[in-house]
Amino acid sequence: MNSLLTNAVAGLTAGGAYALLGVCATFTFRLVAVVNFAGAAIGASGAFAFALLVEVGTPIWGGAIAGLLFGALVGVLVGEIMTRWFAEASTSIKAAVSTALLVGVTAVGLRVTGGQRPHEFPELLSGSAFRLLGVEVTNTAIAMLGLAMLFTLLIGLFLNRSHVGLQLRALSERPAAAELIGIPVHQLSLWVWAIGGAATTLALMLIAPQRAPNFLGLSLLVVPALASALIGFFRSFWATLLGGVVIGEMESLISGFSGLGAYRTAVPFLVIIAVLLWSQRGGRWDDAR
Amino acid sequence: MTRDSMRSATLNVAITIGLGGLAILILPNYWIYLATGAMIGAVGLLSLGVVEGRAGMISLCQLSFAGVGAWTVGYLNVAEAPGGLPIWILIGGLAAVPFGIAIGLPALRLRGINLAIVTLGFAGAFDAVLAAITYPGQAEFLQVLRPDVFDGDRGYFLFVVIVFAVISGVLELVGGSRLGSCWLAIRHSERAVAAHGVGIPYAKLRAFALSAFVSGVSGGLLAGYLGMLVSDNFTMFGSMVLYAVATMVGAQYPEGAVVGGLLGALFPELLRRLDVPQDLGNLLFAIGAVQALAARETISESLRRAFCRVVRSKTRQLRRLDASALPPRIDYGNAPALAVRGLTVRYGSVIALNSVDIDVPAGAVVGLIGPNGAGKSTLIDAVSGYVLRYEGQIETKNRPLEGVLPHRRASLGIRRTWQTNRIAPDLTVSAYLRLAAGNITNDEIDAVLAWIGLPDPDTKVSGIDAGARRLLDVAGAVAARPAVVLLDEPAAGQSFDEAARLAERISEIPDLFGSAVLLVEHDMDLVRAACSAVTVLDFGEVIASGPTREVLDLPIVKTAYLGVVETEAA
Amino acid sequence: MLGTMRWIGIAIGVGTTLLTTATFAAGPTCPDGPIRIGSITSATGPVDFSDAPKAAKALFDATNAVGGIDGCRIAYELADDKADPQVAAQAARDLIENKKVVTMAGGASLLECAVNSQLYKRSNLSSIPGLGVNPVCFVSSNIAPVNVGPYTLETALGLFATNQLRVKNVCVLLTIIGGSLEAHKAALARWEAISGQKAKLVDLTVPTTGDYTPFVIRARDAGCEAVISNAVEPTVVAIVKTADAQKISGINWMFLSPGYSVEVGKALAATQQAVYAGTEWEPYTDQNSDANKEWISAMNSAGLPLTAFSQGGYLSARVIIDVIKGIDGPVTRDSVSKALSSMNPVSYSLAGSQYVFGSASTHAPMQATKVMKLEKGNWTVATKDWFVVPSK
Repeated sequence: MNSLLTNAVAGLTAGGAYALLGVCATFTFRLVAVVNFAGAAIGASGAFAFALLVEVGTPIWGGAIAGLLFGALVGVLVGEIMTRWFAEASTSIKAAVSTALLVGVTAVGLRVTGGQRPHEFPELLSGSAFRLLGVEVTNTAIAMLGLAMLFTLLIGLFLNRSHVGLQLRALSERPAAAELIGIPVHQLSLWVWAIGGAATTLALMLIAPQRAPNFLGLSLLVVPALASALIGFFRSFWATLLGGVVIGEMESLISGFSGLGAYRTAVPFLVIIAVLLWSQRGGRWDDAR
Repeated sequence: MTRDSMRSATLNVAITIGLGGLAILILPNYWIYLATGAMIGAVGLLSLGVVEGRAGMISLCQLSFAGVGAWTVGYLNVAEAPGGLPIWILIGGLAAVPFGIAIGLPALRLRGINLAIVTLGFAGAFDAVLAAITYPGQAEFLQVLRPDVFDGDRGYFLFVVIVFAVISGVLELVGGSRLGSCWLAIRHSERAVAAHGVGIPYAKLRAFALSAFVSGVSGGLLAGYLGMLVSDNFTMFGSMVLYAVATMVGAQYPEGAVVGGLLGALFPELLRRLDVPQDLGNLLFAIGAVQALAARETISESLRRAFCRVVRSKTRQLRRLDASALPPRIDYGNAPALAVRGLTVRYGSVIALNSVDIDVPAGAVVGLIGPNGAGKSTLIDAVSGYVLRYEGQIETKNRPLEGVLPHRRASLGIRRTWQTNRIAPDLTVSAYLRLAAGNITNDEIDAVLAWIGLPDPDTKVSGIDAGARRLLDVAGAVAARPAVVLLDEPAAGQSFDEAARLAERISEIPDLFGSAVLLVEHDMDLVRAACSAVTVLDFGEVIASGPTREVLDLPIVKTAYLGVVETEAA
Repeated sequence: MLGTMRWIGIAIGVGTTLLTTATFAAGPTCPDGPIRIGSITSATGPVDFSDAPKAAKALFDATNAVGGIDGCRIAYELADDKADPQVAAQAARDLIENKKVVTMAGGASLLECAVNSQLYKRSNLSSIPGLGVNPVCFVSSNIAPVNVGPYTLETALGLFATNQLRVKNVCVLLTIIGGSLEAHKAALARWEAISGQKAKLVDLTVPTTGDYTPFVIRARDAGCEAVISNAVEPTVVAIVKTADAQKISGINWMFLSPGYSVEVGKALAATQQAVYAGTEWEPYTDQNSDANKEWISAMNSAGLPLTAFSQGGYLSARVIIDVIKGIDGPVTRDSVSKALSSMNPVSYSLAGSQYVFGSASTHAPMQATKVMKLEKGNWTVATKDWFVVPSK
């Protein structure tokens, strides 16, 4: 029982990371209607830019800011491709494009960062906040959760209260129509991509030191991130947040049972399916068609 | 199954085997070896062509299905199961089917991107599980045995080519069948498919099951090709790349699958020859795929278009109407085709329909009119089952329909058309009629088209204008010869002459096909010409009902409704 | 100019080896042009092992610069598989059928052995990988790597923990990839058989990436005194940092050869944990070691970095050159395979075991490691002499 609680506490870091990444995914989807498989890869680019800059002697905070900017820049590049050529494309085409971009970005990323060559990821927040049930709850874990909540809160306020937020919502629902009524569609979309890129970068910069930071590994964090976003149906930011924490917790709890062995990774997946089927039990028709 | 799909399936098989044979004759061993890999990749792409290309569902776990097939073949090989590789591959494909159905189950509820992420999650989980399972026979160095006839590079290539040809031929046949049309239609609109009396779950599960089977076969072929596999052959990343390639080339077409397979096999070879690092391939793939996807049409579609420009098929002339060739009339007796009693529908606090009664006697054409927002379409939705929460009773031929799902209602005798076009643009006119009417012969299709006034059955729906699509919608519902046809503004977008002809056609429906008609229409001339009785709705309530002429002359109707028409016309 | 100087430098080294192993036999001949040797390496993609074939190429180039082996030049073909099985299979076919290689040497791939071992057997081709990772590399009749390999190293580290560190509670946390489950289990069983101990905790489900906190906590709660892990470089860093973050003490963290790298040392310079790693060969960070001398001068002459991978590539090339020198008559796939299967064990200073291919159905000639300890970011030798895994 106690070891279960221990694992629950230990899962907070991963949970917070998934939550923040998931919120970023929902953010991108709600505002520019793209499920971005390359999302974590964009963040990984920024995070590795940070690590490489610090390796060559840039001060930590300078490197961090440069990393965030780089993440935003890569986000804008991906966004430019998406908005320029695929603004009106179908979901499956967009999914295929972001998959192709994931392949491309990781290829470049692995080349530049040298595969499994470990990089010194400076810890932006080191040390632990407190000890709970024999587990050190690190500052990073706290920061991740806090950031995810802050981001969720801010997005909510922004979308519902601000003029630009309302414009953005119009944009995601009908880009062409939004353009007609004079909303600077292209520009706004790119801002969304930039913010998404920077936020993902921040998330990955924070968790990279505690994970095996290789480019591919960080890029594939998109899977739990999207799974969290799915729990919120790519609509609700708070449900996404919760989903991320739950998935992180689940992974951690299951690793406490050696019997489940190799099937560990399958368990969160099954839970997601169960949650979805239950919550969608009333839905029969696709809304739009 | 149609003449066309039979012909093109045979053509497929013949061309594939012919080209394969030619390759065997002229290519050196090494290139045959590469080509084998390409064709196996092409089989894998065909499997995506079913779920993605045809049914429009995103699947990011195709290689997991292939992994199941490959591992099954491995186990059968170690167990020295009887039958040899061809049988093992077949069993491997079948073994993947339950997985396909399991993944298809969420697809009944989840769509688009949600489904994509579930399949991605499955691929990730499967990836991790497979990585821990050593390929059967690896420790004992048991290579997967090939049958003697197909041993050696050329023999195995021939084997793979035959498998590809058979699978692509069968898929072509399935694609031409009602199930295939159903997939294309699901991609466009699930509601519309249900209105044809087809169960969506049935169609979707079949797509996933068939796709998993084909993918499992490709895994089995790979096992026979390489003899020994590692889990890296079937990673989640690989599934994603496969998906992008399939979308790019158009994997539902055999030539698309082959092009995709060739890209996969020849790209590393090209890079090796040019002495460039292999990872450059991934980057080039990304650029190429984005470029190709931006072209808005798949590589196969471009190929086909270019080809069609060369061999222009001649369009058939409009046939003369021959009433005896129409599908035989069905006699529904005298029981009322539709009886609606006290129908009330609420959307939240808004009452869309308030205690509405409507009768459509057998063999009658009844009009339903009223201003916009009066609740006419809601009534059709409720009757056809798309609004399941209502109060009151709906009966057809004295059978109550409460709690019956749309596709069941459709097969019980209630067919409808749509105000907004929901016909899948990828279908041909004849495929659509077959989807809508079910069991119908080619001559009957031609006759129905001649009757409604549509040309060539081989034209794609995307190639005809909006007015013609409405006629096609009507023709489909009528050709199914249900007890009652619900027509939702069929004359919208038609010219005056066309509307007049349509009125004549609608009034003929009971005599020619046996179906009663409930017609929702704004065009008063059409209503006058076609309907024997009319019910008028306003703000969800029946304000008048009776013989057409009498009702249309009532002052209350004129103020509530006809005023609207005049302003509209002005 | 500088280039020429380099070649002369290497040539002198190679010349001496040529002389010392000269035999009475007529020696190898090459009627069909140069001797073609191939290699398949995971050079791009998730890992970069390209230092291995580059080092092999440097040695072959140097040999050619002094006239080749008995006048036979060596043509060395490098292929990259980007850790993709399909590409690895294609590359092998290309090398064997189109490039007509007589043997494989100096390669280092994540999965090539498993993909191609059957093809090698069919083609009667023998392969001497510079670095074997996949379990098939150590259990195939046609493949014998020059490295110890992860499985033997696991056993060795277990024995080091029980015999030298004298700890009781040895735990094993492994990541199983690419069908290596049986091999890891066999390695564990071998350690148990030799030491008579039982592992305190065995977890074969460590993910390749993820949060390692639960595993570290588990190891602590199980009372592990030594934890053996097959983590790769970034994961090594992640695990040790997680242990630091959890303020764990009293655990000896023992990693396989991927852990032994300068970058890992640098990244973990500030750790409070006791970190060990087993080596495949003579510790490459020890620049003053006599055993490394020849290899270091060869690498310096060719302008290549000094890495563990380059030791493997170099050693593998040395082995194949020596074997070809012993061949009488034309150098073909058959004659090379025959020479390998009938060769006598040879000692090389880089390795703690004698290398032999032999005619057995499986080969794992290398059974000796040196265990390194991380001290303030630098690796120091914890076992001065070779630590050899006993044959039973």
